[in-house]
Amino acid sequence: MIGSKALNWCLYLGLMAATILFLAWGKPQKIVGLFFVSGLAVGSLYALGGIGMVVLYRATGVLNFANGAIGAAGVMTAWQLGQWGIWEPLTWLSAIAVALVLSVGYGRFIAPALAWREPVVKAVATLGFALIILGFVSYLWIDDPRKFSLPTDKIGVRILGLRVTVTRLIAFGMSVGIVILIHQYLTRTSIGLHMRALANNRDISALIGIPILRTETIAWGISGVIAGFTGLMFGDLIRLEPTVITFMVIPSIAAAICGRLQSLSLVLIGGLSMGVIESLLTLSPYLKSVRPIAPFIIAALVLLYFQRGRRLSFGGAD
Amino acid sequence: MKLALTLASALTLGIYAVPSQAEAAPKCGMNTGKAATGKPIVVGGIHGNAAPGDFSASTDAAKAYFDCVNANGGINGRPIDYRIENDQWNPEMAAQAASKLVKDAKAVALVGNGSFMEMAVNANTYKQENIMVMASACAISECFESSNIVSTNQGPLPSNLGATQYAQEELGTKNVGCIGLNIPNNGPWSCQVSIDYMKSKGGNGSMALLNPGAPDVNSALLEAIANGSDTILLNLPSGLAIAVLKAAEEQGLRDEYKWIAPTPLYDLSVPKALGDYWDGHVYVNAELAPFQVGGPDAKNWIEVMDAYAKPEDPRDTFAQSGYLSATYFVKAMLEMDTADLDDRAKVTEKIKSISGYKSDLMCGTYYVGDSDFHMPNRAGYMLKIENGGFTIVRDCYEFESSYFDKHIALEKQLGLR
Repeated sequence: MIGSKALNWCLYLGLMAATILFLAWGKPQKIVGLFFVSGLAVGSLYALGGIGMVVLYRATGVLNFANGAIGAAGVMTAWQLGQWGIWEPLTWLSAIAVALVLSVGYGRFIAPALAWREPVVKAVATLGFALIILGFVSYLWIDDPRKFSLPTDKIGVRILGLRVTVTRLIAFGMSVGIVILIHQYLTRTSIGLHMRALANNRDISALIGIPILRTETIAWGISGVIAGFTGLMFGDLIRLEPTVITFMVIPSIAAAICGRLQSLSLVLIGGLSMGVIESLLTLSPYLKSVRPIAPFIIAALVLLYFQRGRRLSFGGAD
Repeated sequence: MKLALTLASALTLGIYAVPSQAEAAPKCGMNTGKAATGKPIVVGGIHGNAAPGDFSASTDAAKAYFDCVNANGGINGRPIDYRIENDQWNPEMAAQAASKLVKDAKAVALVGNGSFMEMAVNANTYKQENIMVMASACAISECFESSNIVSTNQGPLPSNLGATQYAQEELGTKNVGCIGLNIPNNGPWSCQVSIDYMKSKGGNGSMALLNPGAPDVNSALLEAIANGSDTILLNLPSGLAIAVLKAAEEQGLRDEYKWIAPTPLYDLSVPKALGDYWDGHVYVNAELAPFQVGGPDAKNWIEVMDAYAKPEDPRDTFAQSGYLSATYFVKAMLEMDTADLDDRAKVTEKIKSISGYKSDLMCGTYYVGDSDFHMPNRAGYMLKIENGGFTIVRDCYEFESSYFDKHIALEKQLGLR
């Protein structure tokens, strides 16, 4: 088992190094450094989105496509309150509060009605919820040039020639921090134990008396808070366009798939790797046009690798 | 933005409408003051309005003008029945919208169209059905390189070129990096002519293309810089352009490069969205008259919008363009025999014969001509984002490129040069 893990890590590191060398070959080191750091910054956003999805999936079995839309609603609220002159920290808290309410609202009142349906039905239902939120947000805030900034945008450090703002460092730090915090929460608290039990077998968990609704509501709450924070980061670091933020959920899913919807640390590594490779592809005149599909190719390769030696049947993996 | 534009229009109206309230009444078509009651003339319009963009301003303004015309005698007593469809950025919906208007409703022409989508899908249909489209918000090559579509707006190609030409002549640009959308009939098509222009002047140029939904605008900016550009041309919708400028602000790149953009950045909400950091550092090409220029048509456009459009309808460049297309259409129809107004072939023939129409909203002369290409609007203004607004830094000037050789030949043939 340990040998297999070590082999996986060696293979991953080797492949990453080979890919980076291939894409960076013959390019000035400073330029490669710029693209590498830029890719890490975007990758941390993919990872952040993916982590929020995996946390919820592990506890409830719901792959939440509405995470992006919930984040978009949050950051648009923060922007609007900022325009009205509300004290900035309050606007950030309001973004997280809006995301929390939307997430818990869905988790408490809609998700239980679908609890016994197939995972794909649950996932499609969240897609419907995402489109409702997006429609409502687009109705409230028409297509217009806007910008959302945090005070931390003005402070930065130089890494490999690229100025990295504190906001980007926060996004990166939080993606790592959330992985550690959630891991601790799941392993050291009773609610975490309940969540793990639910993830393993919902039926048996219900039979042994685990408070399913309470546990799931907490999971939806945690997911909402992460979505609100991620929305603030997306609005600041990508752009303040609800549609773009809503559909950032797609590369985030690719990151989540890298962790096979289970391992938060693999989601983090997968997201960062996707960001770096996507960014470095810009250096290749022949490959730069495939940049948008890079995260999905990486996710597909990861799935194929972990699928090796297994046989799929209609009843699942044998 | 709507609030800002409404304020701007109110200000403009205030400047020009001081003498008396009576003078604020818009002038439309025959201007009889009596409603047209004859048999309606069916005219269509298609816009794209769904996430991520709303291009309905052009058809809103065309509708306002047609309503005003209908209230003022119509086309020799016949009102215009203006039917608007939304393609929702969906190719299938775009084809259905054209079919509904052209085949089912038997429209004699389409006016005020604004979309990224429908022109690419329907250009052949318009040719086969022999119907002319007097579009207003075009952004793709099919709009300007088709026999049956003519637009009052410039689209990205001339507007990019206008910005590049200004930068080369006034800002000392030697190497332009065009950041555009990775859509073949938009980004590469419209960037290439600016690059060719720079090469013709002994300079250089390159393009960095972005996927419309791409999260990582930083890479495109870095690519433009890695290509050795000294000037960054932001050939993007305003939201994406703002994101690129924000990434540049993060890197503190403002003073190391010159920053230029085509018309999409001419939006009164942009200076505020960009903030103080960019004040005085971004140059924007305007394809129609900036709001502060004024003039009789500019004044009438505002009056028409205030009297016949909804308060929330935008007063922006696309609205100016929609209004212009509608006025040119009405002018051409008034020159026709009333009995021929239901005959699409004759209406098409008349529109193709349009030549020498002028307006203070547009720098050049408007014409159509019987050709496989149409780009009558190839002159504009250059503006600078300054003091939270836009200052004109160069008045009307014509853009230079060998791409326009065929257009210039047509203009000579029509006696416009």
